[in-house]
Amino acid sequence: MHTLENREFIESGYLESYVLGLTTESEKELVKQKLLEDQSISSYLIDLETGIKKYFDQTSILPPTEVREIIHLRNLKTDIKKEKHVFTNASGNEGKKNNEYLDIEVNDTYIKVHKYWRPAFIAVFVLSKVFLIAGLYYYFKTTSLEQEILRLKTTIQQVK
Amino acid sequence: MNELERTSNNAELHPSTKPSQLSSLEVYDKYGAMAYGIILQIVPQPHLAQEILVNVFSSPQLQSCNSYPFTFAVCVIKLARSKAVEAKRKIMSMSPIAIDSGFHHEDQSPQQIFNLAFCEGYTPDEVAEKLNISKSEVLKAFHDFFKSSRNS
Repeated sequence: MHTLENREFIESGYLESYVLGLTTESEKELVKQKLLEDQSISSYLIDLETGIKKYFDQTSILPPTEVREIIHLRNLKTDIKKEKHVFTNASGNEGKKNNEYLDIEVNDTYIKVHKYWRPAFIAVFVLSKVFLIAGLYYYFKTTSLEQEILRLKTTIQQVK
Repeated sequence: MNELERTSNNAELHPSTKPSQLSSLEVYDKYGAMAYGIILQIVPQPHLAQEILVNVFSSPQLQSCNSYPFTFAVCVIKLARSKAVEAKRKIMSMSPIAIDSGFHHEDQSPQQIFNLAFCEGYTPDEVAEKLNISKSEVLKAFHDFFKSSRNS
């Protein structure tokens, strides 16, 4: 049973605020003190946490499956970094262990390239277009000149 | 203020609810959906929410939940909220109209007060100032909100 003072404290909302991390330092200390002093407040806090979890369980949404894979890879990366750190301070056996390769299969069809490749690709594309246009221009020009030469040769022969 | 600060004085409060050391993926399998729901409440853009979710479950702070005075679920709730609020603040600083908070001054229901504090990231003092009510009324609204959610 809650005493009147405890009931007032419970109904004040300090505990909810404390569980959700919305309290100031002094309020936090007050709650901690109350929790140590009274077992009934502690048991209310346990019920409250269960209630809060239940409330947020109702609003839960299943994330896409790829998220799990990304988290797995990120944590793997962090673990490898940690192992590298251990390697510098550890004995030879642990060093051998750290030198082993990890079999990581990444289900990803994309590649990453440096950002400087973008202007390079654009330059290649623009230059290819310029050369194409120039090629066509000189081709048609040569063809028309050849026809002109042929016409002139015919004219000279007729004059002779 | 670090919301995930360990309070070792209360470490013995919930001995029965403390699981053994869980890996990040085990925690994700258990609480991932709940954390994603919380993040989406705060940041409604799915792509951004997924990025925050990845940050939550690859964060070193998650490991501190193993020695946390609260249950693991509460620790995940707080971590998801703090990461989402942090991201929301960054978005708001870049584009103040990017997210519509749907705040109505006249609505002082426990639900609205809880939303302002939990989803919008305001402190109880700021909520009190916004709604022109006292801080104790704000805290009382948290109690009423969870009481009504438990009864419903």
